[in-house]
Amino acid sequence: MLAVKRTRRLDPDPAFTAAFRELAPRLPGSANEPLARIREEGFARFLALGIPTQRDEAWKFTNVARIANRPMRPATATELPLDRVLPYLLGGPRARRLVFVDGRLQPQWSHTGGLPQGVIVESLARAAETRPLALAEALGELDDGRSFTALNTAFADGGAWIELPAGLALEAPLQLLFVTTGGEVPVMSHPRCVLRLGDGASLTLLETHVGLGEGAALTNAVLQLALRPGARLEHDRIQLPAAQGSLLAKIDGSLGAGARYRQTTVLLGGALVRNEHELRIDGPGVDCLLSGVAVPGTGEQSDIVVRIHHRAGGSHSDQYFKHVVEDRGHAAFAGKIVVHPGAQKTNAYQKNDNLLLSDDGEVDTKPELEIYADDVKCSHGATCGELDAGALFYLRSRGIARQAARAILVHAFAAEVIGRLADPTARALAETRLVARLGGGLDGALVETVLGEAA
Amino acid sequence: MLTIENLQVSVEGKPILKGLSLTVEAGRVHAIMGPNGSGKSTLAHVLAGREGYEVTGGNVRFGDEDLLALEPEERAHAGLFLAMQYPVEIPGVANMYFLRQAINAICKARGQDEIPAAEFMRKVREQARLLGIGEELLKRDLNAGFSGGEKKRNEILQMALLEPRLCILDETDSGLDIDALRTVADGVNRLRSPERAFLVITHYQRLLDYIVPDVVHIMADGRIQRTGGPELARELEERGYEGLLGTKLAA
Ligand SMILES: Nc1ncnc2c1ncn2[C@@H]1O[C@H](COP(=O)(O)OP(=O)(O)OP(=O)(O)O)[C@@H](O)[C@H]1O
Ligand SMILES: [Mg+2]
Repeated sequence: MLAVKRTRRLDPDPAFTAAFRELAPRLPGSANEPLARIREEGFARFLALGIPTQRDEAWKFTNVARIANRPMRPATATELPLDRVLPYLLGGPRARRLVFVDGRLQPQWSHTGGLPQGVIVESLARAAETRPLALAEALGELDDGRSFTALNTAFADGGAWIELPAGLALEAPLQLLFVTTGGEVPVMSHPRCVLRLGDGASLTLLETHVGLGEGAALTNAVLQLALRPGARLEHDRIQLPAAQGSLLAKIDGSLGAGARYRQTTVLLGGALVRNEHELRIDGPGVDCLLSGVAVPGTGEQSDIVVRIHHRAGGSHSDQYFKHVVEDRGHAAFAGKIVVHPGAQKTNAYQKNDNLLLSDDGEVDTKPELEIYADDVKCSHGATCGELDAGALFYLRSRGIARQAARAILVHAFAAEVIGRLADPTARALAETRLVARLGGGLDGALVETVLGEAA
Repeated sequence: MLTIENLQVSVEGKPILKGLSLTVEAGRVHAIMGPNGSGKSTLAHVLAGREGYEVTGGNVRFGDEDLLALEPEERAHAGLFLAMQYPVEIPGVANMYFLRQAINAICKARGQDEIPAAEFMRKVREQARLLGIGEELLKRDLNAGFSGGEKKRNEILQMALLEPRLCILDETDSGLDIDALRTVADGVNRLRSPERAFLVITHYQRLLDYIVPDVVHIMADGRIQRTGGPELARELEERGYEGLLGTKLAA
């Protein structure tokens, strides 16, 4: 048993231990005994779990060790000018936000004032002071057997504690912006967020990960969601890591009866980006819609893992993920729907559409259904195609150059997902970046058109 | 304007055009008629630069350029336009956005400034109105879910906006009701000018009643078999391909 385990896991680089020993006394809440203990336990768990290899079924498509198992340091405090960050401030003038640079809160750009009574939006560092026991409990209660979650628990630096009381709908969007600056030595940060919505509460959350700088960087993020019955969360995620930046993002959540969770993720860039979701549906009438699009090119991998557990019947879940693979890019999708015994009248769908633009790209897709109830509607499907030659010719025959025609068609493929972003400023950022990435000299007209339609 | 000499084209190793020659002069309307499968659409596609056709012989000059050496977009820039028999549906690309990109691309290639948004809108609306294309169709995705007739009108709309020198119409009349045929034919006739030439591929005399051709060609077995004036089309209508060309070529 042990022998098998060793082939599936690598021992973490000793530099992790050195970094943890050095940092532990300075991490948020280190003076608080229960919190410090949770971190110690997290680190011990990380060492025991080790770094997964591709022999581990869950990491079959992904060589994470090359990115994550090497000496890394938390970044030293970086001063960024406002104009570097400004393009990523989303949500309009009324938005509230917390901005982190390399795991450190930037109070000068953060704004959480004037929130209604009972709403809590605070940084993890602040929560470690105001509610150390609750935080320790939240950190400790998530043990998903995943080494990077344990690593996050040990090192959690940036991140936030967010709570909305029952019945409260927050009109203004809330943005969590995580900026990573790569340095000469590879740097790491470990944002941890806890988000709790009371019965019938409602929030638009804009989660943005941005990589600035050339050096290697790893962002290892964990978000714990809890939606009470009838709560609503619109969750827009824009991920723009730098070329040498990697992002491992895990979302763990539970959805109460009648809750609605809508998440849309747009990813452009990054050496390795793995988005993992583990969501539990705990009552009837839940509506859970996850969508995403990523455009990995040479030296880039986008890896999407979804596990949805229908633990109660009468709910609906839908996964809709798209990949556009350019050059030597690599896309992987593994989606699992588990319908637990007795979860009758479950509707669960999953779709993974891939556009492969080169012969050198790689697409892996692994849909899985595990159904232990008989009265359910479930489906999954995966497609992998090239650009439609007829469509390409049609556009070119009207004078549109090949590269622009290609960009228009790729955009059309991705636009459906981008259109699902709830916030117009998030949509505009995703659009602008996608169009710039696709090249072909397409201009803002594309953005205007899309936004014009949305308006 | 267009000179095709002894053009030979194969598709997947099968010869389709077998030595086709044709000359089109500026200001003239040429009609091409021919039995199903005789190679009319193949000719149109080869002229527009679609992939999948192997030119095994002959040459084509467009103005003073070697047409077959140009990329499809370069042919459009040079003033060639093909209204397709089966326009492609492109979901996710708004018709209006597409028109704007196409016009700007052509302006740019011709060394002109891009047209301002307001002027573009005015032009599109005016042409759309003349062709009976509603505002709603302009906002929809390009050809996606358009009816057969709507697609054909949309082709002519593009043709009117892009102002080509050579317009190739591949069965633009098929799928049109009688009123739409009239509207589309009027649209084509409005574009007739001494600088512009037309190559109208059709199966029916009815279109040629509206768009009166200067020259009519009968194509069969990958070649032009007969060339004449408008009376040739009427003769064809009466006698059929068999009567006109004999049993072998009409097949
Ligand atoms: N991509 C292709 N693969 C195989 N055969 C093809 C292809 N394209 C055309 N052909 C063949 O070439 C021949 C000519 O076709 P084409 O479409 O040019 O005829 P057409 O004259 O336009 O006919 P219609 O009047 O029915 O439109 C036909 O036999 C057709 O099956
Ligand atoms: Mg044809």
